[in-house]
This record gives sequence, C-alpha cells and structure tokens, in this order.
Amino acid sequence: MGIIDLISASLLLCSLPFFLAGTLGLLRFPDLYCRLHALTKADNLGLGLVVLALMIQADSFQVVIRLLLTWLLVLVAGATVAHLIAHQAQQDGHQPWRR
Amino acid sequence: MTGLYIGLALILLLTIAVGLVRVLRGPTATDRMLAAQLFGTTAVAILLLLGQAGNSTAIWDVALIFALLAAVAAVTFVRRRNIDTDSHQEGNRGHH
Amino acid sequence: MSVVTFRWSRFILRLGGCLFLWWVLTGGRASSWLIGLPTIALALWVMNRFPQAPFWPISVAGLLRFIPYFLLQSVRGGVDVARRAYSPTLPLDPEIIEFPLTLPAGRPQMFFLNSVSLLPGTLSADLNGTTLKVHVLDRKVDPQLGQLENRVAQLFKCPLGSEK
Repeated sequence: MGIIDLISASLLLCSLPFFLAGTLGLLRFPDLYCRLHALTKADNLGLGLVVLALMIQADSFQVVIRLLLTWLLVLVAGATVAHLIAHQAQQDGHQPWRR
Repeated sequence: MTGLYIGLALILLLTIAVGLVRVLRGPTATDRMLAAQLFGTTAVAILLLLGQAGNSTAIWDVALIFALLAAVAAVTFVRRRNIDTDSHQEGNRGHH
Repeated sequence: MSVVTFRWSRFILRLGGCLFLWWVLTGGRASSWLIGLPTIALALWVMNRFPQAPFWPISVAGLLRFIPYFLLQSVRGGVDVARRAYSPTLPLDPEIIEFPLTLPAGRPQMFFLNSVSLLPGTLSADLNGTTLKVHVLDRKVDPQLGQLENRVAQLFKCPLGSEK
C-alpha cells in the first residue's frame, strides 16, 4: 500500500463519521429545519472527503475535474433543495422547535 | 483498496436505509421530502465509490444524474404543493 | 415579458463552458463530439430563450479569496452539526432570525442564499423582498452573515446597499 493509498484510505475513513452524523441528526433532531442542517452540512462534508480521496487516486486531469464538478453540483443542488424545503415549510406554517 | 470502497459503500447504504425511517414517519409531506437531500448526497457518494471499485466511471454519470434528480424532485414537489394549495383555497372560496 | 439581449461575452463564456464540460464528461473521445456538438448547440439555444439575469462578472481575485474561506467554513459547518448530532444532550437552541439583505437582486443574492445554507449553523429559509429569514441552530452563536455578504460583494464586484 503506497502513501497515496494510505492518505486516500484515511480520507475515506474520515468521511464516515459525517455521513453517520447526517443520518443521526435526521433521526434525533427535533424539527424539519434542524434535520435539514444535519443532512445538508454533514453529508456534504462527507461527500467532499470521498471526492478528495478519489481525486488523489485519479490518473488524469479530466477525472479530477469530473469529480470536482460532481461535488460542486451536489453542493449547489443540495443548497437549493434545502432552501426549497425550508421555504415550503415556512409556507405551510411549520413553527420551528424551540428549547 | 477495493475492499474499503465496497465496505464504505455498504455502510453508506445502511445509513440511507436507517434514514428512510424518518421519511416513513414524516409526519408531514415536507418531512418526507428530506429523502431528496439524503439521496442527493449519500447516494452520490455510494455511486462514486462503486465506480472506483469496479473501475468503471460510467457509474459516475449515474451519480451526476442522482444529484440532478434530487434537485428536480424538490422543485416539482414545491410547485405541486403550491398548485394544490391554490386550488384548495379556490375550492374553499367557492363554498362560502 | 423580458427583453432578451444578445451578448457576445456571455455567449462565448457559455460556449466555452459547454465544450469544456462535454470534454470532461466524455473523457475527450473523438467520436463523442458527433453527439456533443449538436447537443451543445441545442443547449445554447435553450439557454438563450430563458430570461437573462443581469450580467455580474466574477472577480478572479474575489474568487480566489472566496474558495479557501468557503472550504474552511464548510468544514466548520459539518463538524459543528456532527458534534451536535452525536452529543447525548442534543445542544440545540434554534430560532429564525431576519437578516436585511443589501446585495443586489439576481445572481449575487442567489449565491448568498445558497452559501448561507452551507455555512455553520445557518439555513436560508425564506426570502421576502430584501429580508432573508435564516434558521440558526444556536441563537447564542453569531452567524457572521455580514462577513459573508462582504465576501459575496467582493466576488461579484457589486455594491452593498439596496440600490442597484
């Protein structure tokens, strides 16, 4: 196992806690808005680490750009989806949970 | 490395399955739309890992489609909800 | 009805973007251009039929400063929300705050809206005119939206202030 593989494997292992946190937040957080925070931010960071791990394994410039574009698309789509869902919840009169 | 890719992909698949509990529970339709966000990121990660493990980047194109579909699904959902609400309000107005 | 004005600079940017995208997606196989070129032509035609948003050129220096800031904040945002999800006591104290937007409408505002949702503890929930409703995970934490607004203004080289 070379040094690149080692870095790549560590990045992949680092991504796991964030994906788990996204699902945990989805189940544990008290309302829709908080759950959106968990899914949007934790999962995006997890995916970012996966993309980074695959990028350093890539054998061509095109593959690197392709992975980067995939992550960017997910970022933009994710932020848009989060906003649309939150907006719809506001329209429906969803009151945010308060401590 | 292939083992790690597959293993991680399987665990991520499990997190989606567990996350679907929330989608099933709801309670509102808007809660259920969180599935779009879940698939939009976690499923993309799974497909990227599987593509790398199988050395076939054609699966990466599927990942891109997933990311796009999640956004399109959310837009459609919001549009439909608004149309439904509008027609519902019109119906109410007709009653009174 | 919106007036569709044709701009060469925008057309060239889009054409370049499409060609680059196709090249990346197909791995540059020569035969793929047989499908690629007609598709790109179609895509450009469709793009031109949409109402055109006001053109805000992106400042390269602003972009170079924005990327590290954005990456750092995304990591902080992910770590922050993960910490809260794992904590047994579930340390959340959410509320919806109102933020008066001073960025010009159109692309700068959209960019700001999307960035807000990816930064630590904030989620853009509703935009009404120039008032943005933001859901914050912890009301005790300053969301630093003003700082983000400054960065976006630098990126688009646009003035802060409600006037266009």
